[in-house]
Amino acid sequence: MSLLEINNLVTSFKTEQGKVQAVRGISFSVEAGEIVGVVGESGSGKSQSMYSLMGLLSDNGVIEDGSMIFDGHEISPAKFEGTQTEWEKYMEDIRGNTISMIFQDPMSFLNPVLNIEKQLCEPLIYHKNIKDKAELHKMAVELLTQVGIPSPEERLKQYPHQLSGGMRQRVIIAIALACHPKMIIADEPTTALDVTIQAKILELIKKQRDRLGAGVILITHDLGVVASTCDRVNIMYGGKIVETGTADEIFYNGMHPYTQGLLSCVNNPEAEDHKLRPIPGSPPDLLAPPAGCPFVDRCEHAMKVCKLYPAPETRLSETHKVNCWLTEKGKI
Amino acid sequence: MQNAILKVDHVKTYFPVSTSIFAKKQYLKAVNDVSFEVGEHETFGLVGESGCGKSTLGRTIVRIYDPTEGKVFYKGQDIGRLKGDELKKFRKEVQMIFQDPYASLNARMTVGEIIREPMDIHHLYGSKQEREERVSQLLETVGLKPDHIRRYPHEFSGGQRQRISIARTLALDPKFIVCDEPISALDVSIQAQIINLLEKIQDEMNISYLFIAHDLGAVKHISQRIGAMYLGSLVEIGESEELYRNPLHPYTKALLSAIPIPDPQVMRKRAALDLDGEIPSPLNVPTGCAFRTRCPKAMPVCAEVKPELQTVGTSQVACHLYAK
Amino acid sequence: MNEEIKLTADLFEPLSEDEKNHEFIAAQSKTYFQDAWGRFKKNKMALIGLAFLSVMVILAILVPMFSPFEYDGMDLTALNEMPSLTHPMGTDKFGRDIFVRVMYGARISLSIGFSSAFICLVIGVVYGGIAGYVGGKTEMIMMRIVDILYSLPNLLIVILIMLIFGSNVISILIGICITAWIGMARLVRTQVLTLKEQEFALAAYVLGASRSRILFKHLVINCMGPIIVNVTMLVPSAIFTEAFLSFIGIGISAPAASWGTLANEARTLIESNPIQIIWPVLSICLTMLSLNFIGDGVSDAFDPKKK
Repeated sequence: MSLLEINNLVTSFKTEQGKVQAVRGISFSVEAGEIVGVVGESGSGKSQSMYSLMGLLSDNGVIEDGSMIFDGHEISPAKFEGTQTEWEKYMEDIRGNTISMIFQDPMSFLNPVLNIEKQLCEPLIYHKNIKDKAELHKMAVELLTQVGIPSPEERLKQYPHQLSGGMRQRVIIAIALACHPKMIIADEPTTALDVTIQAKILELIKKQRDRLGAGVILITHDLGVVASTCDRVNIMYGGKIVETGTADEIFYNGMHPYTQGLLSCVNNPEAEDHKLRPIPGSPPDLLAPPAGCPFVDRCEHAMKVCKLYPAPETRLSETHKVNCWLTEKGKI
Repeated sequence: MQNAILKVDHVKTYFPVSTSIFAKKQYLKAVNDVSFEVGEHETFGLVGESGCGKSTLGRTIVRIYDPTEGKVFYKGQDIGRLKGDELKKFRKEVQMIFQDPYASLNARMTVGEIIREPMDIHHLYGSKQEREERVSQLLETVGLKPDHIRRYPHEFSGGQRQRISIARTLALDPKFIVCDEPISALDVSIQAQIINLLEKIQDEMNISYLFIAHDLGAVKHISQRIGAMYLGSLVEIGESEELYRNPLHPYTKALLSAIPIPDPQVMRKRAALDLDGEIPSPLNVPTGCAFRTRCPKAMPVCAEVKPELQTVGTSQVACHLYAK
Repeated sequence: MNEEIKLTADLFEPLSEDEKNHEFIAAQSKTYFQDAWGRFKKNKMALIGLAFLSVMVILAILVPMFSPFEYDGMDLTALNEMPSLTHPMGTDKFGRDIFVRVMYGARISLSIGFSSAFICLVIGVVYGGIAGYVGGKTEMIMMRIVDILYSLPNLLIVILIMLIFGSNVISILIGICITAWIGMARLVRTQVLTLKEQEFALAAYVLGASRSRILFKHLVINCMGPIIVNVTMLVPSAIFTEAFLSFIGIGISAPAASWGTLANEARTLIESNPIQIIWPVLSICLTMLSLNFIGDGVSDAFDPKKK
């Protein structure tokens, strides 16, 4: 059984303008010890699907359908065995403990008035019930050493604003690792960082995955980040997963026009005389998403059927699946 | 350079920082002695990590900040001395595109008002109606629809907003545009749109760019020449292909080897990045070569003498490794 | 796969460019104020407040115009009468109709409230805006002047002004406004200080916009929310100050009447005719209450994240 299995997750938000259908039925799984990429543009629903999983949706958000099974337990609020309060309690126990999250903006996650040691020890006290001060301190030092922060003893006494962006992100990772999670969700962990720091942080995430054997979900819009880290990749567009496969399948045999478009518009400075071929237009407005394929309005191969009906799933290999009408074209 | 449209001559931009009333006045050396030229119809790329002073340099060039020392020449004129009509002409011809598409548009103005504003300021075209026509035309140039004219910026996505921002600068038919990280806040699929759009209008309107970014990959694509900046100084300038194929300065090498490439097999073979530590504070620039604290090849001389830019092949590099 | 779909070859014809709908925006376009009004409408208490205030304003305009009684018309045959059909609120010790006098008082109180808020708005926005935008020494001097003004005892200044210029509406206005604009100026200054570093302001500067254009078209308009909230707070405080001054006898003097004057006059009859003091006090209280509800509603409407 997989570590995490998400089936047909549907999440929407009520706004003054109407219902925003952020996540429109996505399914994927994560095994222990693998890094799964979720790639999509802003507004593709990639972050909201993770917030749904963690029970962190804002007040106007609601999970309408679907099941999420983590470590053998159903954790979607509608299907959870127990009351709303029991579910909330259960999620609180999971968060920061067996599932932890790394955020895009470390500054908004760290508490500016607590020093690093307090913030590092918080999950240990709360989830592992460790009270001994000396032991906590030893563990905090060890955690900082693991994420490659030099002179950890001094850093523990510092406050978030005294650290650089890269350092803060390392602290966030240290906090995420504190309770030896079974799964780590990294939401654009390097978007706010410089490329040199980004490379270091990605190395660190991989190293910790190897050490803990945890499953990792890496949310990003950058295919370069995916190529250097992920084992499997889900390509998300307009609230749906349009293609899924191993990294090699996606990069060398990507079938969906959106996947291909993403690859050809990425700067690959290695390629000889690389001409950028951008995807025209903008992502669909999820207040009124297209009835058929979400990518239809920007797709160069768009057909009449694409506008009318959602594309069926085609299985290209054990791991490689794509939702596109082009695969059906020859069959008629 | 024969036909340089812009010449930056030993520019230093410092900001006074007061830690306390009694402490000695400290200076944040954002730009520390930078010189380069940009030719007509050329794109000069400027790369470096955040905090290296590249945005400050860009803002000094459009005269948001005045340089502490040194001069900026636009078409041979010292921009620090421009006044009245000459300044107005400079403001019309030299424009800037900003990084954050959410902060660079006035949220209380409609898209039409935003794009029309520069024409109102400079009294271009005879009537309001002609300006309105020009606005629709500009919207079309950047790939938006004329009926977007009455909408407000918050209704658009990041990429659409950046295109609105480009349309606004184009309203004045500029000759030189400083692009201050125009794509780093955007999604990858949208970045390519913006780069292609910038290239298209460069050819159509004969514009020169100073293209600032922290991502060498994007800069390489659009620029003819690239300068790499570290802690306020240029450490290397070269033809973009040459700089990419054959980087000289250890910092440029590190920047290049950190670019993630969308090819899993290449990435699996890639060695770990050979660059430790983080960029020091510009309040406390290391003596000698600013990069020596992180440089894998640092030598004793690096701590003592600040290397000057010198020509090596077709590039210029500031590094003691290439001392003659 | 969906069974109902009948796939035919023509469905696989390519879609023409015209049929594609990229750059599509579904949401209706709304201006900032439409948006704020939408949120304001949802606040029931604020709507009640607004309704009450509107009724008060209309009555204040119409009643003295169409009533058979004058605000200073005495009727010695009808002294201290209880409310009746002819005199809905009764008459006072000179036989004047209290209803007309309360409505006439509403004219004075409300117009002082609104006009002083307007004066403070103009002065505060211009002064604070210039101080914040120009910065440097100018700002330092301008803000120190404000500090000095703020440190003066407010009431003392008002009383002094009343003594010098006499007790009339104009001197009350001057008295109230002389210090009340300071809050507005400080608010606008801080807002402008943060906004002027934002990229849209820099963009306007690079486009060659003049200083006044950047200040008013770009910066001030972007702090309209807090400004309006501040104005809705200024109105009740001005009405209150005026009522207080008139009540202690240095504001509007008889026979002209504001709510404060009326309350003061009725004070002497509080034992024999307590009902007379109820009308002006009730008017003040209800108006204050509705202004405060409106203020709450406005501040939620313009700053939805604050909650």
